[in-house]
Amino acid sequence: MEDISYGGVLENIRSEWMRGQMVGLVGPNGTGKSTLLRLLAGVNRPTLGRIYILGQLNSKISPKDRAKQVAYLPQQMPENASFTVEQYVEMGRFPYRTLFGGLDKEGREAVHRAMAVLNLLPFRNARLDQISGGERQRAGVARCLAQGSPIILLDEPIANLDVHYQLDILLYLQGLAQEGHLIVIAIHHLELAARYCDRLLLLQSGRVYAEGPPQEVLSECALEEVFQVKAKTYADPFGGHLRVSYSP
Amino acid sequence: MSNRRIRWTFVTLGIALFIGAALELSLGPVTIPVPQLIPDAWSYFQGVHDTNNVVIGAIRLPRLSVAALVGAGLATTGTALQAVFRNPMADPSIIGVSSGASLGAVLTIQLGLSQLNEWSTPAAAFLSGLIVVFVIYRIATVQGKTSIYALLLSGVAFTALCSSIVTLILSLAPLETMQQMLFWLMGGLNGSTWHEVLMLLVFVTVAVGIYLTQAHALDVLSLGEEQAQGVGVPLQQTKQIVLVTSAFVVGACVSSTGVIGFVGLVVPHLLRIWIGPSNRRLIVASAIGGAVLMLFADLIARMILLPAELNVGIITSLLGAPFFLFLLRRQESSVYRG
Repeated sequence: MEDISYGGVLENIRSEWMRGQMVGLVGPNGTGKSTLLRLLAGVNRPTLGRIYILGQLNSKISPKDRAKQVAYLPQQMPENASFTVEQYVEMGRFPYRTLFGGLDKEGREAVHRAMAVLNLLPFRNARLDQISGGERQRAGVARCLAQGSPIILLDEPIANLDVHYQLDILLYLQGLAQEGHLIVIAIHHLELAARYCDRLLLLQSGRVYAEGPPQEVLSECALEEVFQVKAKTYADPFGGHLRVSYSP
Repeated sequence: MSNRRIRWTFVTLGIALFIGAALELSLGPVTIPVPQLIPDAWSYFQGVHDTNNVVIGAIRLPRLSVAALVGAGLATTGTALQAVFRNPMADPSIIGVSSGASLGAVLTIQLGLSQLNEWSTPAAAFLSGLIVVFVIYRIATVQGKTSIYALLLSGVAFTALCSSIVTLILSLAPLETMQQMLFWLMGGLNGSTWHEVLMLLVFVTVAVGIYLTQAHALDVLSLGEEQAQGVGVPLQQTKQIVLVTSAFVVGACVSSTGVIGFVGLVVPHLLRIWIGPSNRRLIVASAIGGAVLMLFADLIARMILLPAELNVGIITSLLGAPFFLFLLRRQESSVYRG
């Protein structure tokens, strides 16, 4: 990202991420995390600056070609929830479909694998409006995985999920990053962000407040300035990852 | 939706189409026994022109074909528009294309151009339908993004505008021209010709083919625009393809039969309940379902006041509106409710 701005919501965002990283976008509500993801996904175009995806200027890539490189799951749930879980996950294969074509063998395998990983096979024939919010969220993540793109952008992927699936999904995403994907997630849970992400981008009022390894970004000073909370940070005695204890 | 239910829906539609076609050809002021239909039609095309052959080959067969093709064109267009607008109330009249096409056709009748060339009314209907769609699209598109709500609202406004101009032209027209316009506006299949069949066959077949190429994109689009962009749906391109195709096919239908309401609204809505939201299946089923509805509506229009004949548009609205209200009341479909 080269100095990108977007209509007063984001200003002068500059950063470079590599495949193999899991990046967390953190910051208070309304600081532009979702807007930044939308710009990266090509949903909106920056008013200033440029975004490059794997070396190509984002605005010059066709929607289908971009989708082969970048999978994006917005925060909003599907408006039409009458599709089955399997049909929804199959939609991730849209960029690979031919003019009238169905799914090829590779597509069917990708869909099956994505549903298996997120434990959705028992619900494959259930409609999206017949499953819980958490299951719908997992179906959305599965749709992204089925897309098979090296870059995955997820807006609040663990909202609505119980702790089991929160950890499960973050662990799986971390595994994908280690396999060479670039994972970018907007996330509110700071401890989980610190535990699973390699880098954090902390936003404050549309600007980058800090970026780097979680231990550096989530300093007590930053938490107080950006979130206006008093907090102590310390290393978890068992895992060594960052823990945050908020003062009343 | 179980595969069995889907299969049975298609089988039922196929049987209904066959029965509708047989009755449409057989019944009327001259009743022709069903077993005689194929031999009589064959004789007509071999050049044997006795009364029954002519009734079948020159009157009822083109009429049946026009009815079925218009039904298929309107119903598939309704399906595609409902997916693009993500609104089950969308049908060809909602984006102003029907009323735009009507205005063009009424103008050619008023100006006497319809007498000059048989293609002048269809051409004017296409053109004015397309112009309305283009203007509405331009109004609703800001900085390269088309707002579905702006498109719907400007469609409603243009429908009102075009209808007012049509009423104005009607009220200023001489009695004979006014009757001609009114009959045309009410929607009729009287005097359908093989020329119209050929024109509609080309337009409807091409349109259904185009809609089918967009079916997967429409599935994803019905989830919401951001979801669709996330998997690579070219939003603007998909909207443009569906809108222009709908303008052409509805222009062809309106120029041939006048405005026929509710087919594009009721058929996809009903079939979605039975076979689910997948647009590929829905487009094919709507093509058959629209044809079936039009055949039975025309049968009623022709038979109910025999020997007088009603316009088919009256029947589709009389059947369609209460049926649609009944469906809404029962709230059977939760397709568009989150």
